Amino acid sequence: MKIRQSITLAIIVILACTPLSGCYDSREIDELGFVIALGIDKGKTNFLRMTFQIAKPGNSGGSEGSSGGGGADKGFTQITIEAPAIHTAINMLNTINSKQINISHIKAIVFSKELAQEGLNHYLHAIIRNREFRPNMSIVVAKETAEAYLSSINPQLVLNPSKYYDLAFESYEYTAFFADVEFHDFYNAADSYDQSPVAILAGISGYASADDITNKLATHEEHGHQYPLGGDHYAGEVPQAGENKAEIMGLAVFDGDRMVGELDGTESKYYLLCTGDYLHSNWTIPDPQSEGHFILMDIQQSRPRECRVTIGESPMIYLKLNLEGDFLAIQSGLPYEGKLLEQFESYVESMIKKETLAFLNKLSRDFQSDICGFGRFAKGNFLTWKEWEDYQWKSKFKDAIFEVDVNFKARRSGLIIQSNPSVSSEGEAD
Amino acid sequence: MKDKIRDLLLFKEPSEQKLFVLHETNEKDQQSGQDKEKKDKPRRRKNEDLLLHPRKDLKVAVKKVEKNDKEKKSDISCILAENLAFIKAKFHYPENSDLVIREFDIVVKDAVIAAFLIFYDGMSDTRTINMDILQPMMLLSNLDIKSDGNGLSKYITSHILPHNQLKEVNTHQEVVDMVNFGGCGIYIDGLDVAFAADVKNLPGRAVEKPNTELVIRGPQEGFNENIRSNTALIRKRLKDDDLVAENINIGKRSKTPCAMMYIKDIANDALVNEVRRRLKNIDVDHVLDSGELEQFIEDNPLLPTPQVIATERPDRVCGMLAEGRVAIIMQGSPFVLVVPVTNDDIFHAAEDQNLRFPYANLLRLIRIFAIIMSLLLPGLYVAITNFHHEMIPTDLLLAIMSAREKVPFPSVVEVFIMEISFELIREAGIRIPGPIGPTLGIIGALILGQAAVAANIVSPILIIVVAVTGIGSFAIPNFSAGFAFRILRFGFIILAALCGFLGTATGLVLLGFWMVSAKSFGVPFVVPVGPRTKGGFSEATIKEPIYKQENRPDFVNPKDQKKQAKKSRAWVRITNDSKNEKQEE
Repeated sequence: MKIRQSITLAIIVILACTPLSGCYDSREIDELGFVIALGIDKGKTNFLRMTFQIAKPGNSGGSEGSSGGGGADKGFTQITIEAPAIHTAINMLNTINSKQINISHIKAIVFSKELAQEGLNHYLHAIIRNREFRPNMSIVVAKETAEAYLSSINPQLVLNPSKYYDLAFESYEYTAFFADVEFHDFYNAADSYDQSPVAILAGISGYASADDITNKLATHEEHGHQYPLGGDHYAGEVPQAGENKAEIMGLAVFDGDRMVGELDGTESKYYLLCTGDYLHSNWTIPDPQSEGHFILMDIQQSRPRECRVTIGESPMIYLKLNLEGDFLAIQSGLPYEGKLLEQFESYVESMIKKETLAFLNKLSRDFQSDICGFGRFAKGNFLTWKEWEDYQWKSKFKDAIFEVDVNFKARRSGLIIQSNPSVSSEGEAD
Repeated sequence: MKDKIRDLLLFKEPSEQKLFVLHETNEKDQQSGQDKEKKDKPRRRKNEDLLLHPRKDLKVAVKKVEKNDKEKKSDISCILAENLAFIKAKFHYPENSDLVIREFDIVVKDAVIAAFLIFYDGMSDTRTINMDILQPMMLLSNLDIKSDGNGLSKYITSHILPHNQLKEVNTHQEVVDMVNFGGCGIYIDGLDVAFAADVKNLPGRAVEKPNTELVIRGPQEGFNENIRSNTALIRKRLKDDDLVAENINIGKRSKTPCAMMYIKDIANDALVNEVRRRLKNIDVDHVLDSGELEQFIEDNPLLPTPQVIATERPDRVCGMLAEGRVAIIMQGSPFVLVVPVTNDDIFHAAEDQNLRFPYANLLRLIRIFAIIMSLLLPGLYVAITNFHHEMIPTDLLLAIMSAREKVPFPSVVEVFIMEISFELIREAGIRIPGPIGPTLGIIGALILGQAAVAANIVSPILIIVVAVTGIGSFAIPNFSAGFAFRILRFGFIILAALCGFLGTATGLVLLGFWMVSAKSFGVPFVVPVGPRTKGGFSEATIKEPIYKQENRPDFVNPKDQKKQAKKSRAWVRITNDSKNEKQEE
């Protein structure tokens, strides 16, 4: 009897599970359409124009060898809808599409510059409130419309469209031309008293072929460089011509939820150095003693950057960067790795110091936006939250006085100890 | 009808059951053997003072028993013909064709004493009967009858029959039992006793490699179906003066001989008594295998996991006897049962003790992983693909999506199809006759693996899930426990299909309740964790270096807790001799 009783009980419990809790939200994976990127523009006829990139099956799974579609098949389909709000658009999309839309795998959310300059506040709230949105998706500002940017994405090296976003937004780790900005970072910064958010800056390449490339749009003169060095470009202006027109370079600077300016690749590098998120990247350093030659170094942080903030009518911000680098190339062949080492190190220190100061001053004077989060160090000077709030850091930041110290050491010379001149029939060169 | 429904649903007072809990023994009992002997003497004296009638009663009782034995009336007649008739009726002779009744005469100077002996052809060693029983009696010519009948029987056992295992018995039943077990019964005219000689030579296997628990490092002998060779295999390894093999016959009709083995001054008395009580109180006609016996003596027939370890390996039994457990050996079964058992013993393999501890720990962790895989993996797959899409990496998600695109079934059905076909292959694999065995592999691998995917019945990722699950269930060293997890797995698939991770978590909690409430011979089943015991986790789950395993498992409450000295590697210590040597150098 005891056995029968417990079996009956088990059956009743299992049966009760079904109506009480079970399966109502159960969806098979193949019944869902997974959005991998979402673009939000100002609408023409309505408040919003939303662009969805939805992953297509087959191309990514492709074990059957049927995936030989070549460049024509991007692995996703793109739909643009005009709607008054984000969730309305998702709802409308569900009627158009055969599959139910699932937004839990969005990799990137793209806002147009136009929308970002107006302020993103109410979109942020709608997104953070919905648990289906991933807080760790990348947040991007497209210089043109988000729709155009998403259309221009034409991944050439990956079969799986989601992988494109995964990898493309990770490259800052070794280029430092932009920063990894995840949605929750952006939201937290936009909300906070001590920091302003940034977003990844994206654009569409304007060059149809390599012959069209010009130097006009580069920002090297602004930085005092004789030639554009790697990062002296904004997104969309990088001198490149290829099949994928979508470019990521630089950052969009926000004050609260409104976009106030742009940083180019070089400035993004200094942004990373100031926040301490910098990992490593190649630097192209003009040779101090031989014009027209460069020294290439792989520079990384030797120790975390140090930061102190003193409070006053205008806050004093002291920053110390600890860097070390490996030689990748010395084009002039001068003995920077030997006799001239100390001279070279102090040259790099002064160069980085100068450019960092220029970057910080641009932030405080032009953008008046503390994207580097110096406010977090300033907070320590206050005893109560009320005092901190009353101090109004964000309004004081424009008057900030900066002091930067750089400690740079060149550590390794690579696989050769010194560069010897090449010998030709006329004897040693130089 | 109403009553029936009420019976099924409403609470009912549970029927009274005798519960057994293995309680902590006194601290005095736990002290080491030598200490105990020292302390025993004064204590006995103290107790004697307390007793009102010390010892006398005890002696009287013993005497009474002895008297009873002697007074017990023999049902063997002095007239041989009556005995012969009784035996023939008892054994259904002559229908019973393999019974041999050999009538013969013992010739004494002037008299001829009739006698007969009985045995089953094939179960006894006929050469021994010829040489050690018939020859001395028949060729005997100088039988000098001096005393009465009782004296004669003494004379026969002490002078005439040279066989080494000869027993004088008073009842026919004893003779019958002996004959049924391959012995030989001897009746002699004029005596109201009979003789039972153990001359059995039962057909059976020799000692072979065990079939189920194979090891690389360790002895390669396994038990066979013969109880005596099994006890011998244990005694051969465990040379302990206090190793006791108690004989208990189980089954009213079959009277299957069983031996209960334990080390008297290690195993807890309460435990030994409880095992004895259970074995003696099995009211059944025939018990044929220790698999049946296990079901008769286990605590919770409904618990999915086994509560008794059945092993084919003498070294494993010896190890567990030395820990203070009790082994039950049964005639006719190559599996020896060991009790009590905890959850951890299930995933211990025979090899663990012989391997160095890092190796053994690697294996143990892999086995825990295997258990988790075989229990939960298909359920987790169903839960994730149906409810928790955000948990999978996007690449994998898209791969699963593309793979599932052509499959017409929901993923639960898909999982059930594959799991059931896998169970089919497994069952068929055991039943299939040897020579056509490879066919099964081809069918299984090709048709189920390859073709099912090609025909879009299942997705390729699911094949991986089911394969890992299957391999996981084979990595569980205990055969019965493998069954348990196979059955529970289906429950977890259903729960996961109903409520995703919520269902899986509910299932785990319920399973936990079930396990925690269970006991195996008075020992809580999840003991190092359930009731937390000292050092339980480190010794039962993860193996410590052997020199640190100083205690026997706490949960069996052995009489002697210590199994080795605090510093068992005594050679490491610097003794005075070695100090002197150093100084001399």
